[in-house]
Amino acid sequence: MIGQLTQLIIATLVAGTPLVYAALGELVVELAGVLNMGVEGMMVIGAISAFAVTMATGSLTLGVIVAIAAAMVLSLLFAVLAISFRANQVAVGLALTIFGTSLGSYIGKSYVGMALVTAPSPLAGLITKIPLLGQLHPLVWLSWILFGATWYFLYRTKPGLVLRAVGESPASAHAIGYPVIRIRYLATLFGGALAGVAGAYVSLVYTALWTEGLIAGRGWIAVALVVFATWRPERCIAGAYLFGGATMAQLFAQSAGVGLPPELMSALPYIATIIVLALISRNETLMRLSVPASLGKPFNP
Amino acid sequence: MPLHFEARTKPSTLMVWLSPAAALLLTAIAAMIVFASADHNPLQALTTFFLSPVADLYGFGELLIKAAPLILIGVGLAIGYRAGIWNVGGEGQLILGVIFGGYVALKFGPGGGVWVLPTMIVVAAVGGMLWAAIPALLRTWANANEILVSLMLNYVAQYWLSWLVFGVWRDPAGFNFPQSQPLAPSALLPVIVDGTRANIGIVFALVAVALGWLTVGWSFVGYQLRVTGLSHGAARYAGFSTDRAVWVGMLAGGIAAGIAGICEIAGPLGQIFPTASPGYGYAAIIVAFLGRLNPIGIFFAGLLMALLYLSGDSAQMSLGMPSSITGLLQGLLLFFLLAADVLVQYRLKYIPSVRPEVRRAI
Amino acid sequence: MAGFSRRQLLKIAAATPFVSGAGLRSALAADEVLKVGVIHQGAISDTGWEYFQAQAWRALEKAYPDKVKVTVLENIAQMQDAERLFRQLSSQGNKLIFGTTFSQYASLKKLAPTLTNSHFECCAGIEAGPNLGVFEARQYEGTYLTGIAAGRMTKSNVLGWVGAFPVPQVIYSLNAFLLGARSVNPAATLKVVWANAWVDPAKEKDAVAALIAQGADVLSGSPNTPVQGLAAEEKGVWSIGSTGDFSTYVKKKQLTFFELDWSSAHIGAAKAVMDGTWKPESRWLGLGPGGYVKMTTNNPELPASVAAEMKAAEEAIIAGKLKPFSGPIKDQAGAERVAASAALPDREIRTITWLVDGVQGTLPKT
Repeated sequence: MIGQLTQLIIATLVAGTPLVYAALGELVVELAGVLNMGVEGMMVIGAISAFAVTMATGSLTLGVIVAIAAAMVLSLLFAVLAISFRANQVAVGLALTIFGTSLGSYIGKSYVGMALVTAPSPLAGLITKIPLLGQLHPLVWLSWILFGATWYFLYRTKPGLVLRAVGESPASAHAIGYPVIRIRYLATLFGGALAGVAGAYVSLVYTALWTEGLIAGRGWIAVALVVFATWRPERCIAGAYLFGGATMAQLFAQSAGVGLPPELMSALPYIATIIVLALISRNETLMRLSVPASLGKPFNP
Repeated sequence: MPLHFEARTKPSTLMVWLSPAAALLLTAIAAMIVFASADHNPLQALTTFFLSPVADLYGFGELLIKAAPLILIGVGLAIGYRAGIWNVGGEGQLILGVIFGGYVALKFGPGGGVWVLPTMIVVAAVGGMLWAAIPALLRTWANANEILVSLMLNYVAQYWLSWLVFGVWRDPAGFNFPQSQPLAPSALLPVIVDGTRANIGIVFALVAVALGWLTVGWSFVGYQLRVTGLSHGAARYAGFSTDRAVWVGMLAGGIAAGIAGICEIAGPLGQIFPTASPGYGYAAIIVAFLGRLNPIGIFFAGLLMALLYLSGDSAQMSLGMPSSITGLLQGLLLFFLLAADVLVQYRLKYIPSVRPEVRRAI
Repeated sequence: MAGFSRRQLLKIAAATPFVSGAGLRSALAADEVLKVGVIHQGAISDTGWEYFQAQAWRALEKAYPDKVKVTVLENIAQMQDAERLFRQLSSQGNKLIFGTTFSQYASLKKLAPTLTNSHFECCAGIEAGPNLGVFEARQYEGTYLTGIAAGRMTKSNVLGWVGAFPVPQVIYSLNAFLLGARSVNPAATLKVVWANAWVDPAKEKDAVAALIAQGADVLSGSPNTPVQGLAAEEKGVWSIGSTGDFSTYVKKKQLTFFELDWSSAHIGAAKAVMDGTWKPESRWLGLGPGGYVKMTTNNPELPASVAAEMKAAEEAIIAGKLKPFSGPIKDQAGAERVAASAALPDREIRTITWLVDGVQGTLPKT
């Protein structure tokens, strides 16, 4: 029984990690007032770049680095269009998703169905000896460190405060003299970088395989997660494990004979997000405290 | 930097029509680069890519059946977009049309009469409308962002359809595969061009274009929507209710998407699969933008997007290229359009040798 | 056949539309190349269902290097598109066209009688019709044999199966798996988890984790990617590939596997079209020469005695002496479905919707 529970927890942590990265990244972007719906496209690009590079070089680290770079390029494209060109953020994000997904599928054509088999490094051999935590990939621990660092940055440092101020009222921030456009660019790039890591994790660690539709909507879930978490990082990480664990729970429930239809269980996280969104939006005070006021609106200095 | 965007006093009408053309040209160039990288003659490949799918009557019919749902949903969405109501839930609303209409088709189709199809269409419209009503309600009552709500509902709708097709709607003669019974003849859209699969779906699309044009351009409601989209403050001052704009904007999209759902299942599919829509709800958003939120423009944009779908598939046969080239070009087209669009609202000005203090203030 | 002149050929070709469905077609001229079209629903990779479909037309190309030209389309996921493209393939002169999955069957059933310039074959289709032949593999024969290996190698007596969809093809495969296991190890049980997708690596990985957490130590399924085998290997659990060899990825812990070899269907159909003798037929073949199920190499760790048992059973099945679904067989509820001296008839195997006793898992209600 304990063994099963441990297995369930570990599987949940593994499944939730891409969401942790993607959602944390999107959180920072949205706190700066930019709504980037292109997370899915960036994750796909991150996944295929990481996969292709690691296949060619055998190095996981190199794969992750290239994934970060590739996703950042895509997010730069978004930033130029949405921030500098003041284009509609929804439309640009959507275009990014469609483009990123198709480009990834196009590049990935020659890798379909291939699985990654990397020789475990001596470091990996040492790590697996650590009880419990050793079963988790370093990228999982990294996500926890990242969460801590992001939380600290946002709520305990001045730049973090400035970022949040930019999201709340770019006009005021600009009047004080902060470079709103540059901050939004940096936030968008950060979001892109994390989406790249999330994608790389899926293709390198989680499935170690490339197929069409590998990301399967996780980027969209990340966008939903940020709302579900009312734009707070600690709720983001909890929500990521909740969403990620939903599939695991559903499979375990199947074997345990629980009669709920799997589709309902899969839909629950989304329904929950809608309810949460409605509840916080209704509460004006809570809204003022949670939603970045300038979210989705272009800023004209 | 010396190049600056300066807001125009009023949007440039020249750019409004030039930017889609520019975007198309840039996309064509990008396509030629892709073809060249695969060792094809770029210009020849481009003509094969765009012209061969519609070279015969059958191909032209295919263009119409693919374009119909895109145009329909695009017109519906554009009505909302003009008012600043961002309905991203076209996909889910289409699926609700499939669910509601499909129910009628499966239950009453076999042995049913001439009333089955019209009922399906009405019921599907209601289904899409109800699904769009949820984000509308939450926006007006709880001030919830309709983008996020309608997006989430896409997933819920997909799971609902999966549950039905995997469960109670499964074809008893279908060997347990996740698909419904084939729809009875009374539940299928009649074909209007012999020798093709083109059905009256395209007529629905044309009617939508006409209605959309009348509403947006000529009706008072349309006027209110446009004003609301341009300035919430002005609209409020004039006594136009934002709430009404939300409802009209969302429901228009929902009804259109619901009917588009029927175009799918009662059209070339003739059956209900869990994947009833190949992403038409999202593609329609591109169509709406490509068509400048104008119903006539959307008609042509829909045809273009449909052509891209067909070209992508036949590119496998004629050019040996993977079908993902479709999404690639669709995404690029939208990117280029959005980039070119900036020139509608802003003018590019070159301001040489600006002193640092002055520059920072710009 | 070499004696036919072009003019005679054209005369016969002009007359054929009036002989539709009867299967009387003109043979190809000696120098004419047979154009063949194939549409894949998914992407062709180096393992899995689509891979074996591709191997079949590759074998066809190899068998007739100068006489056959194959046009292949992949990633045609939507059925409306498949229908349009089948038609296009036919109008482009492809005389033999293959569908590669059950989902294309409905479109082919509609199109085949009308497109008389081409002959159609659908893999995994239900039954032959005018101008349409079908062929499917008796995968249960293969899974019965792999079940023997599983039954011998399991220590926990819990086997696991990752099911894609609860369609009869999957159900009879997993039933036979347990029956094979129980033929050597009556205490074996089988846990089933449904992934509800043919390819969803993340879900498959989670499904494997769920099964292992419940004690399964030999896993099988109908994987299309190495994910299941890799996930099992990570936890030190045996896996069995029932749609192919994943040992390039799963280096140590793949116990055994079988392949689906459709080449005899492709080559046979092509030869018939070239000779002018093509007729729509329904074929359901398993082990044996010309069959579609091929057992291959076992893991070196598999004891020779078990391999010998599998071989003996294989020969018995080919000879018709051993039928995997021979009674007595009870279903999950305990009712007797097959009497002691009887065997489940083909028709009932093909439409099976119940699980044998010893399988733990449910089928979604209709």
